[in-house]
Amino acid sequence: MIITIQERWGMMMNKNWMRRQQRLGYLFIGPNMLGVLLFFIIPAFYSLYLVFTDYQFMKPDKNFVGLANIERLLHDELFYTAMLNTVIFLLAVPISIGLAFVVATVLNQSVYFKKLLRGLYFLPYITSGVAIAFVWMLLFQPNQGPINGFLRSIGIANPPGWLSTIETSMFAIDIIWVWFMLGYNMIIYLAALQEISSELLEAARIDGANRWQTIRKIIFPLVSPTTFLLLITGLIMTVKTFGIIQAITQGGPGNSTTILSLFVYQHAFRYYDMSYAATISWALFIFILVITMIQWWGQKRWVHY
Amino acid sequence: MRKMKMLTMVVSLLVITSMLAACGGNNSGTAEKDSNKGADTSTIKLVMWGGVPPESGPQEVVDNWNAANADIQVEYVRYVNDDDGNLKLDTALLTGQSIDLYVSYTMSNIQKRVDAGVALDLTSRLGEYNIDEKMGPDAKLWQLDGTYYGMPTKKNASFVALNQNALEKANLKIPKEWTWDEYKEYAKILNQDFDYGLVQSTVSFMDPLDSVLENIGYTKADGSSNMDNEYTVKWLEISNEMMTVDKSTPTLGEQLTSKMPVENMFLGGEAAMLSIGEWLIRSSNNLDEYPRDFKIAFAPIPRLLENSEDFITSGGLGDFISVNAKSKNQDAAWKFLQWYADGGMAPMAAGGRLPSSKDMDASVALDNLLGDKANTYDVDSLKYVLFEDTTPTFVRNLAQEVIDLRTQEYEKYFLGGQNAQDAAANMAKHHNKFINK
Repeated sequence: MIITIQERWGMMMNKNWMRRQQRLGYLFIGPNMLGVLLFFIIPAFYSLYLVFTDYQFMKPDKNFVGLANIERLLHDELFYTAMLNTVIFLLAVPISIGLAFVVATVLNQSVYFKKLLRGLYFLPYITSGVAIAFVWMLLFQPNQGPINGFLRSIGIANPPGWLSTIETSMFAIDIIWVWFMLGYNMIIYLAALQEISSELLEAARIDGANRWQTIRKIIFPLVSPTTFLLLITGLIMTVKTFGIIQAITQGGPGNSTTILSLFVYQHAFRYYDMSYAATISWALFIFILVITMIQWWGQKRWVHY
Repeated sequence: MRKMKMLTMVVSLLVITSMLAACGGNNSGTAEKDSNKGADTSTIKLVMWGGVPPESGPQEVVDNWNAANADIQVEYVRYVNDDDGNLKLDTALLTGQSIDLYVSYTMSNIQKRVDAGVALDLTSRLGEYNIDEKMGPDAKLWQLDGTYYGMPTKKNASFVALNQNALEKANLKIPKEWTWDEYKEYAKILNQDFDYGLVQSTVSFMDPLDSVLENIGYTKADGSSNMDNEYTVKWLEISNEMMTVDKSTPTLGEQLTSKMPVENMFLGGEAAMLSIGEWLIRSSNNLDEYPRDFKIAFAPIPRLLENSEDFITSGGLGDFISVNAKSKNQDAAWKFLQWYADGGMAPMAAGGRLPSSKDMDASVALDNLLGDKANTYDVDSLKYVLFEDTTPTFVRNLAQEVIDLRTQEYEKYFLGGQNAQDAAANMAKHHNKFINK
């Protein structure tokens, strides 16, 4: 049986058929939506309700306290410390993306051991977080660690204390995070680079563009949607991360590596102060929202589709 | 066509309901199985949760009981005594999973479990087993509002373990009481032959602060925090001198970031003294894994205060076991608990846990503790530290949040982020905020 395009169009326009298709569509997404509703949307709104109560896990009574939690948050010095630490932590994202772009550009050309190098760069991303934590703790060891050993051998008498001092600990975490994200960012960039038509690059060469100009005027604008994607997903993922810091420093020394997500975790699952944790979570949500909105607004200036 | 649609609807509904049922199904399934088993053989099945690995004693304890009591069978479940582990236990208790007995290790955890109504008030049962009489005056420290919601079963001990050979070589006596200044001096002298004169377990690291506060009070007469007292500053400064001037103890930053294994360092001969608690015995008895060629002697914890009469040292009792108030087998659980406290727990001694019941003879307990390794210890000084020292003891009763805030402030000080006065003032500031919350 052959159906002409006209006949097919007629079938699709048949209201009855459309409605049936629609109903079937809802049925297909039904189970998934049920899960989202039960395990995400309802808890999210419940946590908003908790902001206005004094709910503590293991305490049966729960009272309405109005804006007390928000007031407490705004007067909590540690909240601002955590916010600052989060911002420092986020610096790792653009740095990692920049490095990934460089590495991907190099690896996209004819280099020896290209496949092996790609694999090696990607390796951290598929390594267990706990293993990463322990290896870096050893590397950063202030007295016996290989990093400071190397620094001393090239003549730096007082190398930084890395994870063991308040001033440097957050930056040490940044280094780990840059290294961790590099592989993933690089793979995505490689995919984007291979999408670039060689005609464009050839045309540029014929027009006399040098390497730097090619990268700046052709490659960079063409991968800008990828950069934008990596920036948004990277920042959101980084703001949410806490496992690696929990494994390495538990927020210390002092509170120098307590980022917002860790701050939430501590209040919720260490002090059982669920309402306050919910309040911090919503602050964290607003924080991510603002960052993402600024980027969305800013993309007009530099992202070319 | 219509039939087909109905069929899809029914099938997908089935899928959804079975998915939902799977979420809650687990519990009801096992509960049913358990009660069936109970009805068949009329045995009661008890579940006990504790933080000690089964192989360090609990399994043997439970096996002993099960062999002697066919009608009450106990199963031991280990939870890891950290934030995640306690959360797991609390969730299990709140959601009514079958737990009949559980061990708590800190006052703040017990407080939460009492608030949630999952710790049985033992007041009416004290006629059968008088906790005060059996466990001595230290048991009272574990009461909440004058009520026992469980009972402590173990004797806590904090002490300084000493490398006796090093002490003899340096002509130093084993102290029976000492101040922090003498402590510092010992560490400095012993430091000459070792990487470190002293290493401290992070578990008891902050005890000196509480030791003073127990004596002078956590709050002043006007209700404000007393954490900024002069001894806080003294402890900060003297510890800092040991770390940075004498270099007789590792700096806190290094200790934390390298997660320094202090037991290994002491037993491996890298450090001459180790401030720790009774759990050291678990490692020091294990000569295969931690071989050593010296005897271990023991000294009490040094004091910051001038007068030895004012000194309160950390110790008291521990391993607080509660009966779940929601358990259906409370009588059986209570029976097991009494047996456990009165000597059933003896196999735990190999892991450093001494029973606190007076029914347990000190010399037997010591034998259990040291086994055939007694000749590798200076037993007299151990006896003194464990049984003869009459210094009153405390069990820290401070909210976890306050402990954390205080820790952050002294870490900042030891890492050079602020001076000692500011650190003490900030501790008091956080504490005040918490008091007024």
